[in-house]
Amino acid sequence: MSIAKYRLSSIQAMHGKTVSLTIDELSIAAGELHLLAGSNGSGKSTLLGILAFLNKPQQGTVYFDGTPVSWEPKECAALRRRVTLLHQTPYLFSGTVAANVSFGLVARGVGKESAQSAVRESLERVGLEGFELRKARQLSGGESRRVALARALACKSEALLLDEPFANVDRASAALLESVVASLVAGGMTVVISSHDELLGAKLGARVIRLEDGKLDGTPGPSPSEEFPRQTGRENAVS
Amino acid sequence: MGFISDSLREALALILAGDREVFTAVLTSLDVAVWSVIFASIGGVPVGIAVALGKFPMMGAIRVLLNSLMAMPTVVVGLVVYGFLSRMGPFGSLGLLFTPQAIIIGETVLAMPVVANYTVAAIQGADERILPTALTLGASRFQSLCQLTREVRFGVVAAIIAGFGRVIAEVGVAMMLGGNIRFFTRTMTTAIALETSKGEFAFGLALGVILMSVSLAVNIFLTLAQESHSA
Repeated sequence: MSIAKYRLSSIQAMHGKTVSLTIDELSIAAGELHLLAGSNGSGKSTLLGILAFLNKPQQGTVYFDGTPVSWEPKECAALRRRVTLLHQTPYLFSGTVAANVSFGLVARGVGKESAQSAVRESLERVGLEGFELRKARQLSGGESRRVALARALACKSEALLLDEPFANVDRASAALLESVVASLVAGGMTVVISSHDELLGAKLGARVIRLEDGKLDGTPGPSPSEEFPRQTGRENAVS
Repeated sequence: MGFISDSLREALALILAGDREVFTAVLTSLDVAVWSVIFASIGGVPVGIAVALGKFPMMGAIRVLLNSLMAMPTVVVGLVVYGFLSRMGPFGSLGLLFTPQAIIIGETVLAMPVVANYTVAAIQGADERILPTALTLGASRFQSLCQLTREVRFGVVAAIIAGFGRVIAEVGVAMMLGGNIRFFTRTMTTAIALETSKGEFAFGLALGVILMSVSLAVNIFLTLAQESHSA
């Protein structure tokens, strides 16, 4: 049986006076790939914000590695160093690509040499070798997204949350992303991807969590690897 | 017209000759303006960030107050600070009145709302993804705010320069708190006011030329910074 990385219990999140998310019970298994599927406005980004410890729900308890989250600022700051969220339209800071990719490492107090090596490794992983000294603001849209992915990878978090990473990307970028995600999961990382395309679940070999109007639509299904051990897309995704 | 051109010629001669009185006034002006802007920035930038991002009650009232303080007449600031620093005032025993330090205090009070207000505008105009991006990459709240400030640094520099513009050109505070003492607290603006009233138009014009040059230099710096930022 999988250990839960996250467990959410009686969660209610609000935008102003409107309830945007209601979850009675949800577990996200450690070291597995999950797909948050749902249409626009279904609460995917709200849920990712909670999982990233950026937004505190108005009600309910979030357990991370079995420990209830108190949402005290110090605790949230510590937890955010264990989880990284890649936004749907990522923001790159002004300056070089290297400065962007090393941002999380510098924030964690990682030494210069280790940070440089992690930056190089992360950029290689997303196919942007030699981009270190390029100005981040002068990159194309696709390159910017890859830099943002490299920046998230460099943090080496326990969980990676990707908000609509396959929206508006070309086939080559999608294939690269699939390969990166597959290798992360194979390495034991918990990955949660949001998408309006539920079919991605089978393609990526992900456990699908369906959201509809801010509520879970049924219980999270088994991962395709459990359901169809010979038909998982995960092997196909590994480069 | 001959009066103006003759005075201008005389003013340029004074500048080129390195007239001690002219340059002492210039240095005093720059000294008090730079220090007051430094202090105003230390206080004004964090206040601006807090007002722009804060979600506490009375925020609207604080913004209205900051806007009102921006338009506060310099003589009123001079008058209030005078009250505090005069012999009868609560800080009279420090003996600061009619010293450059008194001008610095007054000009800091004058510049801080300007720096704070421009910082509010810079922060509110910033991309709203900056803070969540920094936070989710593991930065602490303080590190994230530093990164936010770094991202809008051009706006913050503009805020500081606007504060500098406010104090370098003011005369009320320098006159009331400095006392216009020759070679001690006389600034460019107080010297212009005094010398012109004495009929020394060329001397006033010389200082006016320098004052305009300083203002021009600050604007050139701002433009160059803007160009390098957008490159």
